[in-house]
Amino acid sequence: MIEKIGALWPEIILFAAACIVMVVGLSPTAAVRRLCAPLAGAALIVAGIVAWFTTPAAHGPLPMLPLFGKTLVAGVGVLLALLLAGTPDREYESAIARGATGYDPIRANRAEFWAFFLFSLTGAMLCAGADDLIWLFLALELTSLPTYIMVAVSTGRNRSMEAAVKYFFLGALGAAVFLYGFTLLYGGTGTTRLFAPAGEPSIASILAAQAAGPGINAVAMTGLVLSFLGVCFKIAAVPMHFYTPDVYQGASSAVAGFLAFVPKAAGFFTILILAGAAGWWGSSPVDAGGSLPQPLHQIVLIVAILTMSVGNALAVVQSSAKRMLAYSSIAHSGYMLVGVVAGPGPANAPYTSNGVAAVLFYLLSYGVMNLGAFAVLASLERRRADGSADEADDVNDLKGLCATRPLLGWTLVLSVVGLLGLPPLLGFWAKLPLFTSAISSNEIGLVIVLGLNSAVAAYYYLRLASVALLESPELTNDTVRSSPFPARAVAGLASAVGIVLLAAWPLNQWAMQGGRYQRVEPLKAAEGTPPARVDAGAPAAR
Amino acid sequence: MPTLLADTDVGSYLPILLLITMAIVFAIANLAASNLIGPRRTGHVKGMTYESGMNPVGTARKRFNVRFYLIAMVFLVFDIEIIFLYPWAVTFPNIDHAVADGAVWLGRILFFLLTTVVAYVYGYRKGVFRFD
Amino acid sequence: MIGGTLVTLLAQGPIPADMGGVTLAHYLVVSAVMFVLGLVGFMVRRNLIIMFLCTELMFQAAGIALIAFSRFHMNHTGQTFVIFVLTVAAAEAAMALALVVLLFRRKETLDGAAWRELKG
Repeated sequence: MIEKIGALWPEIILFAAACIVMVVGLSPTAAVRRLCAPLAGAALIVAGIVAWFTTPAAHGPLPMLPLFGKTLVAGVGVLLALLLAGTPDREYESAIARGATGYDPIRANRAEFWAFFLFSLTGAMLCAGADDLIWLFLALELTSLPTYIMVAVSTGRNRSMEAAVKYFFLGALGAAVFLYGFTLLYGGTGTTRLFAPAGEPSIASILAAQAAGPGINAVAMTGLVLSFLGVCFKIAAVPMHFYTPDVYQGASSAVAGFLAFVPKAAGFFTILILAGAAGWWGSSPVDAGGSLPQPLHQIVLIVAILTMSVGNALAVVQSSAKRMLAYSSIAHSGYMLVGVVAGPGPANAPYTSNGVAAVLFYLLSYGVMNLGAFAVLASLERRRADGSADEADDVNDLKGLCATRPLLGWTLVLSVVGLLGLPPLLGFWAKLPLFTSAISSNEIGLVIVLGLNSAVAAYYYLRLASVALLESPELTNDTVRSSPFPARAVAGLASAVGIVLLAAWPLNQWAMQGGRYQRVEPLKAAEGTPPARVDAGAPAAR
Repeated sequence: MPTLLADTDVGSYLPILLLITMAIVFAIANLAASNLIGPRRTGHVKGMTYESGMNPVGTARKRFNVRFYLIAMVFLVFDIEIIFLYPWAVTFPNIDHAVADGAVWLGRILFFLLTTVVAYVYGYRKGVFRFD
Repeated sequence: MIGGTLVTLLAQGPIPADMGGVTLAHYLVVSAVMFVLGLVGFMVRRNLIIMFLCTELMFQAAGIALIAFSRFHMNHTGQTFVIFVLTVAAAEAAMALALVVLLFRRKETLDGAAWRELKG
């Protein structure tokens, strides 16, 4: 009990900060209300440092995943806090500043927005450290429930509301599907503990025993597949991807940047945890790198192929930059699933053949690069005919950006070229291990699809870059102006620096640590395979 | 102390069944009796609101004040809180004092109740409880 | 679909069960039917409230299966899980209420098709 709480200090800090922000943000004094964002940022920095020093190694197949996941979420979270600056209550606060209206807490959204931002990040951190199905379920819901409200209040327009409703309903559907999957997983194994110290019953050890013996229980396998399909909603993978472009377009650019990273990170932590519990099994020698148990392996493979192909094919035809980035976000989920299919490889495999480490590093670099692209969009706005400001969305709004606003323009060019994966930049070093790990686990077909998709992606990424770099600004371009929040440009700049420099840092060693995989010992039958099998419900129990 | 349904003697639920049956029969009997032997008079005065009730004005399809929804949502917090109290309340009298400390158990649930105070403070600051 | 899979799975009998006449399979079939009904209803209906009720139906289907499994495995974990499922369902209900009220005040309708500003 106590040691479990000891592993949760970063989450406790974030949660307490969220509660404080929720109350502070309702102050009638504007200066106090403005403390919300700095408080959230400070809490994230503290939580990140605490996570780095206090997170212990977990039991189970991926011992370093909690450490990597929590620090990653806190680190990118600081940048996201910069990106989201000024999003909530924009029109309402300026009306108060003009003296047009008084402050009525019931009409303000700022406190909720920042508190929910912190709650959502808390949920993502909890996902990374989950070792129980109930915990995992609650963490996933804690990640996604606040995001629905963040979308709804991100702009004052009807389309944000529509996006939030669409997101909420599909999110509830996804949650129901993975909840049913968790239920069947519990039913097939008799416990909700995912990982436990060696010798104690847990889902991982029971599934290992089943896989070593008669094969994984059909109910548990159905549960694994359903859980995976449900979590596909969080990562915007194919059977559950429909909402992505609409929601990203309806939400403000900053919130869209948030949605592209946090639920995706939580979803991939969940997928890695579930896949780790199922185990990557070699066909003949026990300690050779292997693949996921059979039906699951096929399904993840198909979802990966469909996700990247659909995402890239539809991104090509978009004229809205946000929709294009949304489809590209779908495609990137497909790339990352390649690493899940490839698996961690044989024991002590080098970085290049560890698919799990590749996924984690890709998650990090996708978070940084994607943030840069959305930060540029959030820093630009278009004046509409009625004088109100709307965010830049059309690709044509970006014409000649490098000439008019060099800082934003070059940030955009760097992020899209990074997302494309050209050699010197971060994206290349992220994509390379996905290729090599898939090759070393003999998924040649998958590698070919991945290569073809990267080529298709070049078309629309380079189009975005060339619009900003090569085309001259239109004469009507004076309707596009910078948004009054320099923090967003700072976030973009930080990510641009990251795209250039992070590749040089030994961050992949960190991801390698995070992706370290150790096989779970099968639970010995003598210790009572499923402890539950003891003649359940028989009259003898009376 | 039976904790499983199979261990429980179903017969001990007979009084409850009896009670429910009596309640239903009583309600139906009253309705039937007033229908059968009650006088039937209709008219304007008969349809009027009784004593201190308000006179009905306007249609029923009136927009409710948004505060009703807010109260409904605040209610949900306390409603769900109760679910967690039930298992605790069932377990608390039966804890083995040799292995568990009653004070710690009480402290845990008090901490849990304290967390709902956060929701209450938030609701208060938000102005959910103001009716002006 | 899923219900059918489950029935065949259980007919093969990886988990033989007997709960005094009513077997585990009975509960699972009920829960699977509820889940599929919710899924179909979600796809077919366009009224936002009904769609939300369908997702609730799916949540409760999981709840029934959890309790049945809990009884079958003779541990209380499944029942504990149900309490948390109920909590999350209540949180979602509050959120659905808020969103639906917000939408209704803007358009005076609960028809999902009335909201077509975003293409797709």
